[in-house]
Amino acid sequence: MFNLVAQSVLSGIGIGAVYGLIGIGFCVIYNASGIVNFAQGAFVMLGGMLTNVGMIKLGLPLPLAAIGAIAIVAMLGVVLERIVVRPLWNRGSTMFVMILATLAAQIVVERITQIMAGDQPRTLPVFTDLPPLRLFGFAINFQFLWILGCSALVIILLGLFFSSTKTGKAMRACSINRDAAALQGIRVSRMLALAFALSAALGAFAGILITPTQYTAFNVGVPFAISGFIAAIVGGFGRPLGAFAGGILLGVAQALAIVLLGAAFKNVAALSILLLFLFVRPTGLLGPAK
Amino acid sequence: MAQFRFTSGLLLAGAVALSGTSGARAQDAYKIGMSAGLTGYAATVDRAWRDGVEVAIAAVNAAGGVDGRKLELVVEDNRSEPQEAVTAYRKMLSSDKVQVFASGCVSAGNFAAAPLVVRAETPMVLCSILPQQPDHVKWAFTTIPQPRFEVETRLEYIQKKTQIKKIGVLHDPSPYANAQKAAAEKEAKDYGLEIVGVEQYKTDDADLSVQIQKMYAAGARALIKIGLGGTTLTAAKNIKQLDLDMIMLTSLEDIAVFRPVAEVLGDKFFFVASPSQVYDEIESSPLKTEIGKFLTPWRAKYKDRDPNWAGRGWDAVMLIAAAAGKAKSVEGPKVRDALESMDNFQGTTGIYHMSATNHQGITENPLLLATITGGQVKVVK
Repeated sequence: MFNLVAQSVLSGIGIGAVYGLIGIGFCVIYNASGIVNFAQGAFVMLGGMLTNVGMIKLGLPLPLAAIGAIAIVAMLGVVLERIVVRPLWNRGSTMFVMILATLAAQIVVERITQIMAGDQPRTLPVFTDLPPLRLFGFAINFQFLWILGCSALVIILLGLFFSSTKTGKAMRACSINRDAAALQGIRVSRMLALAFALSAALGAFAGILITPTQYTAFNVGVPFAISGFIAAIVGGFGRPLGAFAGGILLGVAQALAIVLLGAAFKNVAALSILLLFLFVRPTGLLGPAK
Repeated sequence: MAQFRFTSGLLLAGAVALSGTSGARAQDAYKIGMSAGLTGYAATVDRAWRDGVEVAIAAVNAAGGVDGRKLELVVEDNRSEPQEAVTAYRKMLSSDKVQVFASGCVSAGNFAAAPLVVRAETPMVLCSILPQQPDHVKWAFTTIPQPRFEVETRLEYIQKKTQIKKIGVLHDPSPYANAQKAAAEKEAKDYGLEIVGVEQYKTDDADLSVQIQKMYAAGARALIKIGLGGTTLTAAKNIKQLDLDMIMLTSLEDIAVFRPVAEVLGDKFFFVASPSQVYDEIESSPLKTEIGKFLTPWRAKYKDRDPNWAGRGWDAVMLIAAAAGKAKSVEGPKVRDALESMDNFQGTTGIYHMSATNHQGITENPLLLATITGGQVKVVK
């Protein structure tokens, strides 16, 4: 039983790290604009789908296809910001309207993907095609290590970006006080576009990391977006590191729920954690964003 | 008893059309409604079903239609959601005035809409399993073989071709999957097998490794996977990632879905196949002849696209056409009664033996177990 629980926890950490990356995408946009972007799941889906297309249709090697997919999705993030969010933003629309608009954008992207790519499930090869490592009787597959390693790298790079670069500091300034940032000469609208590009790229990256362990199709985005959203709330909305921790907590809780209570309790566990945090600690694991 | 054949259905329909009964009625189309999951988890199956129905309707119309009327299809996307299906059925009954249904595989949706359909006295020939309530079943017929056939095909293979004694069942929450799960639980012991784990998943789950590990830890060395969509690929990837000594046997599905699965699991992967999916491998028979009649227009339009679910759609239209032709009417109650009399009707999946007590016409297991080797689909002997 111990082995089963431990092995399941490992699985939970793997999927949880992906939820965390998606949650970080939510935080990046929220910090720059105060918007909850429900099209985040579309970016995750497009990351896997476009990489698959790059490999299968264009014959590109995986790294090149992945980089191309991330670049395209980042550009789509900017397009989303320009044609959906910006007009509403300039019109002074309420946040509720903008959230609904991103949700509509998610559905539009889904349908366009379905029309262009069909509805058959696709996948990507694992990054390292070797049998799993055996450690103390546990199987640790290489994709799990890729997910954890890349997630850690992303968090470190994001930390450096926000703390050490002029652009990162400008984005942080926008998140703290947009008016004051504008008075300091920061082009807030450009930061907003950059936040969407960064968030979209993160989503695509998460999609590329997880697709080798499962399948991707036009409709996989929404479940990921929901899990990433929960991860972001549990971590403290707007706190990237918190979102990542929230994702891991969510993944592990779901895995333990399946082992100890049955698969029917997987989502019960996820939503119970969400409710628990909303009631007991609404600021999340790491407290509110500054 | 002579078998009803596709040709007889067409001849009957054509004869009625030429007999002068049409007149003004010839202009009235016989409206077939379809609630199908053209998007959502059942999209792969239901789009194929719809396309098969369309090919069949074109064939029937080319032969003169039914009772002097051309067939006309009204399709509504239920997004693979039961609540959407109810809306779709209501719209087709009230606005489109459809006279019969040939609906897709979202069983929960067909169940939910059954009371509406029964009140409207409109027969339906389904891709899904039959509704549970007897008064609903009265108006519903299905082209799908009994769920237990899919299970028995796999259990028989495990019993006869492997040394495995303990198995796990992984299924989605749909009524069809639950029916298969119940059949597995009931019949496993008859094949000398023990089910050591039954786990459920959701069709949008990103990871099934915990469920699979749980069953493997309990001793399962064969996984009976029940359900549609990309989760079969997820399960295969999970088995490989965990390096488990386990075979996976999945339920009927579009073969396009299975190809990447076979690349992952290789000779550890088997799937239930309908005869039309392995047409080139089956021997000459009335079944093969019937499949050939369908495959000719199907391949002309869709080339090598999987014919399984489309073949069922073809069967549904041929059953409806033959019943309406036999009843010499398109009125719901008369077509329903005629559908009940469709005995020994050769379809592309098997022979339908419809009767007042049996609305699930295929009573003999027509299914085969197959695998994919070197990109080629092979029947496991």
